[in-house]
Amino acid sequence: MPQQYTFGKATASYPDVPYEEKERLFREVKEDPRYEDFLYGCYECGICVSACPSARFYDYSPRVIAQTMAREDVDRFYEILAEDIWNCAQCFSCVRCPRQNNPGGLVTLIREVAVRNGIQETRDVLQGYTRVIYKVMLKGNQVSPDMLQPDFFPDWGPWVASFRGNMEIWRQAIPVDTLRGVTDAAWRTADNTLRELYTIWFETGNLDIIEEVDEGLYELLLDVMEEELEDWE
Amino acid sequence: MSEGTVLIIGAGPAGLEAARTAAQLGANVVLVEKRDRVGGTPDESNYAKLTHHFRDADEAIGELAEAATSHPHVQVLTNSQVVSVAGEAGDFRVGIQNGAGAKTVHAGAIIVATGFQHFDPGRETQYYNYYSFSDVITIADMEGMLKAHQVVRPSNGQPPERVAFIQCVGSRDRQIGNEYCSKVCCGIASKQAIEVKQQLPNSRVFIFYIDMRMYGYWENELYWPAQEQHHVNYVKGLVSEILAKDDRLLIRGEDTTMGRPMEVVMDLVVLSVGMEPSQGTRQVAEILGLEQNKYGYIQAGGPTHIDPVATSRPGIFVAGAAARPSDLDDTFATAGLAAARAVATLRQPVMA
Repeated sequence: MPQQYTFGKATASYPDVPYEEKERLFREVKEDPRYEDFLYGCYECGICVSACPSARFYDYSPRVIAQTMAREDVDRFYEILAEDIWNCAQCFSCVRCPRQNNPGGLVTLIREVAVRNGIQETRDVLQGYTRVIYKVMLKGNQVSPDMLQPDFFPDWGPWVASFRGNMEIWRQAIPVDTLRGVTDAAWRTADNTLRELYTIWFETGNLDIIEEVDEGLYELLLDVMEEELEDWE
Repeated sequence: MSEGTVLIIGAGPAGLEAARTAAQLGANVVLVEKRDRVGGTPDESNYAKLTHHFRDADEAIGELAEAATSHPHVQVLTNSQVVSVAGEAGDFRVGIQNGAGAKTVHAGAIIVATGFQHFDPGRETQYYNYYSFSDVITIADMEGMLKAHQVVRPSNGQPPERVAFIQCVGSRDRQIGNEYCSKVCCGIASKQAIEVKQQLPNSRVFIFYIDMRMYGYWENELYWPAQEQHHVNYVKGLVSEILAKDDRLLIRGEDTTMGRPMEVVMDLVVLSVGMEPSQGTRQVAEILGLEQNKYGYIQAGGPTHIDPVATSRPGIFVAGAAARPSDLDDTFATAGLAAARAVATLRQPVMA
């Protein structure tokens, strides 16, 4: 068994996996060609944490991300892969690092590995985003106001029902003329744009990634996209 | 052109540099050395490489020794010790003892360059079981192993897989009495960590520290390369104890920035022992009647408090680690300044 360099016991809320599996995932992150530009070394100054909006609200530290990767602390890395990465807003405020590290970029790489490997914790986290992904992939746009339904957005808290019930009033309050009153446009997208979009999803392997984390969603998207592309041809 | 004599006590880097400079400035130099050869602690303690460009220590100190001792105005007295001093600036009479007997040297100025010694981790308490566990060594011991290209666990002669450096051993410690920072150990440990990784690429090397004090160019020449190219692990938090575990060493402490206790197995633990005034520094200070600070170093500063080579006695100057923990830059800088002041004293004794 390889010598581990984790101190103390992790209080993880997910099942542990063999050390060799953690090492494999760790290597996959480090082998990314972007890695060497994202991490030099960390002297633990904490400037990334002070700049990080997520760190103010969650048990999340970009310093720990950089530090863990630099120290090759494989056990802590797995905790990060299973949990921490989803607390990052990917705003990249942390890139003001005096060592020119990019903790947010490291999170990007770890997320990609987590998704590519269909990690159970990643599937669980992304479950709540199914409708967002659905909308983005099929319409090329974010969630539209008319999609606000309490059932689909439990993480928005108890206010969702109130938002939905008073959508007209809320929209009136938006101080941008072009958005005022729009509740049901649902972001209509031109056929040509859709076809280009779907072609991109296929060609870049994006759909394969969706398949790893959510097979049901994948089937759903595949049906719509294939039909649209067939019509086109 | 010769305008009198500067007597220099100690032929380590400080004494050699002071001798060279004083001679180049036109003085006669008498260089008194207790050991049978010049070179000082880098030579006596088998230093492998210097922090400056990882230069071979023997070679670099050898060049300095050659430059100093080959100068026609420098007379070297080895196996010799200063036993008395009388007179004042411009007219000292220094008693010197060696195997052959005693003699008196007339000197216009004196430079004390008697240096430091490595903190002994078993001196007061059995610090980290240094004298119990053969795989607990000091950075001075490590120099010898690096020099021989034989970095091994003394207990079994095998190369270590995991090496830990523990910083501030005998420094920054009120209990020990050495409250000061020894200044060089962060750089030395980082240098040695790099050398260990170069000689044993598959080893894992950790440095446990309170603060990493990587002054000036040590940041980019040692600290960053150690982390970025050699993957040395720096952990903020000192080790509280070292225990035997099977045939390895278990170290305990806190990983402070990760916020958790640590308990890790190591094969070799290197204590980054700090500097203390050498026995020679303490003795010479007594004999010359020089004020010492509470740690035993020769009190520098003079009446202005800002002169790094002035002692409490006019005409007597201090160079290098006899006055304070010093790296080689400090040592050469103060040695050159002490030489300049000493030569100035020969020319204008009343100004001393």
